[in-house]
Amino acid sequence: MDWLATTKRGLVKGFTTTWLLTKVMAPVYLAVVLLGQTPVMDWLARLAQPVMGLLGLPGETATALVVGNLLNLYAAIGAMGALTLDTREITVLAMVLLISHNLLVETAVSKQTGINVTSLVLVRVVGGLLAGLLLNWGWQLWI
Amino acid sequence: MDMITTWEFWQQTGWGLVKLVWQMAVIVIPLMVCMEIMKDLQVLDKVSGWFHWTVKPFAMSPAAVFPLLVGLVFGLAYGAGFIIQAAKEGTLGKRDLYLISLFLVVNHSAIEDTLLFAVVGANGWVVLIFRFVASILITWAVGRFIMPVEKVHQEI
Repeated sequence: MDWLATTKRGLVKGFTTTWLLTKVMAPVYLAVVLLGQTPVMDWLARLAQPVMGLLGLPGETATALVVGNLLNLYAAIGAMGALTLDTREITVLAMVLLISHNLLVETAVSKQTGINVTSLVLVRVVGGLLAGLLLNWGWQLWI
Repeated sequence: MDMITTWEFWQQTGWGLVKLVWQMAVIVIPLMVCMEIMKDLQVLDKVSGWFHWTVKPFAMSPAAVFPLLVGLVFGLAYGAGFIIQAAKEGTLGKRDLYLISLFLVVNHSAIEDTLLFAVVGANGWVVLIFRFVASILITWAVGRFIMPVEKVHQEI
């Protein structure tokens, strides 16, 4: 095998892929940063507040859920830091967020594989909420 | 809103962007080189073959192993990078592409993401196991009932 040619081919593929990911992620990353500066997050959090009770979570956790989904997990963890939550609440919130987060950037990336991403977003949002619902329910039964 | 007009805000955003690209480059480039070397030494097919049992219940091809592993360990963007590459080279069919993406959007960067929440007080094992079970169940159900192999083959 020709080591030089193989390495070169790997480097080219590595750079092309990095460049492609950059082209896709950079504009969305920028949009997300700007979105974080607008009052949209607060509006959505206020809308989500009453629903949080279904997951056994206090209304204030809506902010973490909204910023986690539209911005990223670090923003969600930052929002959680401002609240006093017990282990069940943190774990349920973590469950929902682990399945469904950073939707704008991650969906832009998955779209590049050429598949239908609407179904994927739906699976994540619904799946995340269902997992949180189940976990909260199971937790109160067994723990 | 007035933060947008400050120099620090744009400086921070710019740095964030540079960091993002750098992080991708240092993972994707060495991994691609490794993969090419493994391919030429005929190791990649062998390793994928050994781990074929992990994706066999979903009726996926052995070529699905590597993108899945990369996504699970490093993150969705990296996994997607390898999926795109595989799609270009034609090593993965449409059904495989969809199922890998489906699994990975639900479950990726499994260790790092879990630790992130474990550090702030979540029960890490519970969420890690739950997430694995959820991703496996969803992928299996979609692969079995919504896009069964026979049906997909007929359409192609």
